[in-house]
Amino acid sequence: MQPGYVSPVEPSRSEQEAKDLQGRLMQVSRLATIGEMAAGVAHELNQPLAAITTYAQAGARLLERSDPAIEDVREALRQIAAQAMRAGAIIRRMRSLVRHVEVERRPTDLNALIEELAELMETDARVHGVRLRFELGPGLPQVMVDRVQIQHVLLNLLRNALEALADVPAAERAVVVSTALGESGEVELSLSDTGPGIDPEVAERMYDPFFTTKELGTGLGLSVSTTIIGAHDGTLGHRANEPRGASFFVRLPAA
Amino acid sequence: MKELKPTIFVVDDDEGVRNSLRFLLKSVGLSATTLASATEFLTTYQPDQPGCLVLDVRMPGLSGLELQQQLNLRGAIIPVIFITGHGDIPMAVEAMQHGAFDFLQKPFRDQDLIDRIQRALAADEKNRAALRERDRVRARLDSLTPREREVLDLMMRGKPNKVMAAELGLSQRTVEIHRARVMEKTDASSLAQLVRMVMDSGQVPDTK
Repeated sequence: MQPGYVSPVEPSRSEQEAKDLQGRLMQVSRLATIGEMAAGVAHELNQPLAAITTYAQAGARLLERSDPAIEDVREALRQIAAQAMRAGAIIRRMRSLVRHVEVERRPTDLNALIEELAELMETDARVHGVRLRFELGPGLPQVMVDRVQIQHVLLNLLRNALEALADVPAAERAVVVSTALGESGEVELSLSDTGPGIDPEVAERMYDPFFTTKELGTGLGLSVSTTIIGAHDGTLGHRANEPRGASFFVRLPAA
Repeated sequence: MKELKPTIFVVDDDEGVRNSLRFLLKSVGLSATTLASATEFLTTYQPDQPGCLVLDVRMPGLSGLELQQQLNLRGAIIPVIFITGHGDIPMAVEAMQHGAFDFLQKPFRDQDLIDRIQRALAADEKNRAALRERDRVRARLDSLTPREREVLDLMMRGKPNKVMAAELGLSQRTVEIHRARVMEKTDASSLAQLVRMVMDSGQVPDTK
């Protein structure tokens, strides 16, 4: 190899390395988000388990009687089966989120993508005592996105909103997830909370990697989300919510 | 006064849990009223309704802990048994500090819940009986004339008739008559019982 000659392979290899690194970072951030949600999911799983335990014990009690009411026992068994199915569905939802898939962009209906995640988001919100509302705009154009990545962004924004509501009185804790058509034909997704709003000092640094206000945060959520949305030729930003709180928005070009 | 039948209120936002508890209680012959939210309970509950409350700590909207605070503010005496999910122990501790009757972690043994409910119902009955007794005593004390009340206050401080007569500017004979009226109106059989009655009623005279 002659001095001064740079193999065309070289830059592309480091480009590949950077891409790999970014991929791993996204994976770490995604798992961290899922980890944060695990506590909520555990709580949610505990509900059907509690119901199953109670029905089973009541059923056993009924059978101990000299003249057991078989119809009641049958009802207990039916309820046990229904609650077990419910527990299974919770686990399936979680697993579909953890499964690693190749990045793949497809024309996607953003509302459908949100609805797919709605139950999991509601679980998370419920555990935090937060009311979650969806205001999905009708007739939006499709967007060219990787489902898992956009869902990751959505969950990140939700987790931030829930965190921001921790010190707000329970009756006032609310998050609204909305979609609408933007001025230049793009699709806008926003998450608005009724929290205290964003401290200007925090606002300056919150998109930086490893900056976190959470006790156990990785500081990757917003920076990785920004990267993901940037890679989709979209923008991620925030504004004040009326009358109070913060609103984060994602704008994605129509497919 | 009309005696109301004790009711077990179950407040849990999870329909599965709520229905399973009603089913269990029914299987042991206890009837329960189930409610999906703390707000629903607050709007329907009458404080003179005896019973106990089985309450989920963590609920959207008004949480179990906040409902407990509301009840405390309203002076409701209904015993509260908290049921908590996994990892809610700090909340349970807070609940106990605010006067919760007991708490259980989900899922629980049915007998543990039933035992606690029965203890709570017994405690509620005892509290309500004590309150009724206090009201009766207060009514009796209210029936005393101002003069009799003065005599009672001096009796509470253990003053002999002679001293009372001097302090009130009355004859010993008059003091004796007032004293007998006090005992009669309060239905106390001894000075010791009278003192305890007045103490329990919370209407203790100022010590001068």
